[in-house]
Amino acid sequence: MTLPESTFENLRLELRRGCLTLAVLAQLRREHYGYTLRKDLADHGLLIDESTLYPLLRRLESQGLLTSQWREEDKRNKRFYRLSRDGEALLGQLLQEWQTINAAINRIV
Amino acid sequence: MELLDRYLQAVRKHLPWQRQNDIIAELRANLESQLEEKQEQLGRPLTPTEGEEWIRNLGSPVQMAGHYLPQQYLIGPAIYPLYLYILRLVSMWAIIVYTVVSTVTMVLSSNATAEAVAQAAGRLPFILIQIAAWVTAVFAAIEYFAVRYPEKCPPIAAYYAKWSPKDLPPLETLAASGKKRRTYAQAVAEVIFGFVLLGWLLAVPKHPFLMFGPGAAILHASPFRLAPVWWTFYWWIVGLNALELAWKSIDLVRGAWQQPDRYRHIVVKFFGLIPVFLVATLPGHAYVLLRHPDLDWGRYGETLESINHGVHMVSLLIFAIGSLQLLWDVGKMVYQGYRDRSVVR
Repeated sequence: MTLPESTFENLRLELRRGCLTLAVLAQLRREHYGYTLRKDLADHGLLIDESTLYPLLRRLESQGLLTSQWREEDKRNKRFYRLSRDGEALLGQLLQEWQTINAAINRIV
Repeated sequence: MELLDRYLQAVRKHLPWQRQNDIIAELRANLESQLEEKQEQLGRPLTPTEGEEWIRNLGSPVQMAGHYLPQQYLIGPAIYPLYLYILRLVSMWAIIVYTVVSTVTMVLSSNATAEAVAQAAGRLPFILIQIAAWVTAVFAAIEYFAVRYPEKCPPIAAYYAKWSPKDLPPLETLAASGKKRRTYAQAVAEVIFGFVLLGWLLAVPKHPFLMFGPGAAILHASPFRLAPVWWTFYWWIVGLNALELAWKSIDLVRGAWQQPDRYRHIVVKFFGLIPVFLVATLPGHAYVLLRHPDLDWGRYGETLESINHGVHMVSLLIFAIGSLQLLWDVGKMVYQGYRDRSVVR
């Protein structure tokens, strides 16, 4: 029996969801606005849709992990995000968890 | 770019009004930066086809706006298992109550025709849909308030955390006797048919044809009639059925249908033997009487004695078999109890 393509796609999305949050938090140790953050992540090999990234920034901010401010740059008002103090502490914990999982998976496979 | 403006306008319509301006301004800034960079790389503005392709890749306006909305469930995963459980339970009881009420109503109003049965059966799906809608509405309201006012709603996770392994239902594997344990469906079917049987029994005095069929008319026209002892017998049977049905219903509600109380079987059998005993020991063995003994004794006296003798012998036989079965069951139960205690030691 061959698995439907959607099975792989669903599992891939599930696997990516947590990783993307981790990558976004890590990347926002330095200030970014939405588009440059997306480009930065893509330059590091992590492609992410606009419809996923921009709302994610809002959610992380509402959870208190990011701070934001509107500022003019290149004659355009942009919303810049960076990691909050709580976000920094949480990122440390998440990275530790990620490393534990990663090491375990490497030992298993 | 006009297409981008149209896209943002469409996205705006699906956003909550309090955040529309803020979200659209940020989205516009990000998308315009992206567009600028694309055009810089190409050294020219996007052609209409390229612009359309770029906007299409952003996702439909509904999808884009949807990502900005909080995740909302009609009934969330925390209460969904409870919702399914309650829905099943309520639907089951609705079927039982509806079946009993419909049966009794039809019988008492002498309207037990095939058409009436079909009509009653046809109404059942609509009743079930209404019940499901009400249960769903109640759980949707619980979900709504639990999400918006978490501090005012008792945490459902804490309720689940209170469970005890001791409350788990017994295994559905083979029972000690080697027979398969009763399933939930069997237990539900027993309760439903129990109610139908009880309704049928209660309707028999008014409509004897339900028990005797065409024989009811023959009996009515014959010179014979049943003795009052059969009323005593009848009410014993009704009482026993009601008692057993109540027990089964309680088991079903408690979730203990797989292991009915082992003494219950004995109790029901014992009480079931009492009316048989009353019949078997009836003084004079007068089970069937003549309507007009002065007139008919000469003609039917011999037949009457023969019928009563036959009923007496049959009732004695039933009582003897029933008593032996009861003794056997009691013996088995005592032996089983002794064995269980030995295993524990």
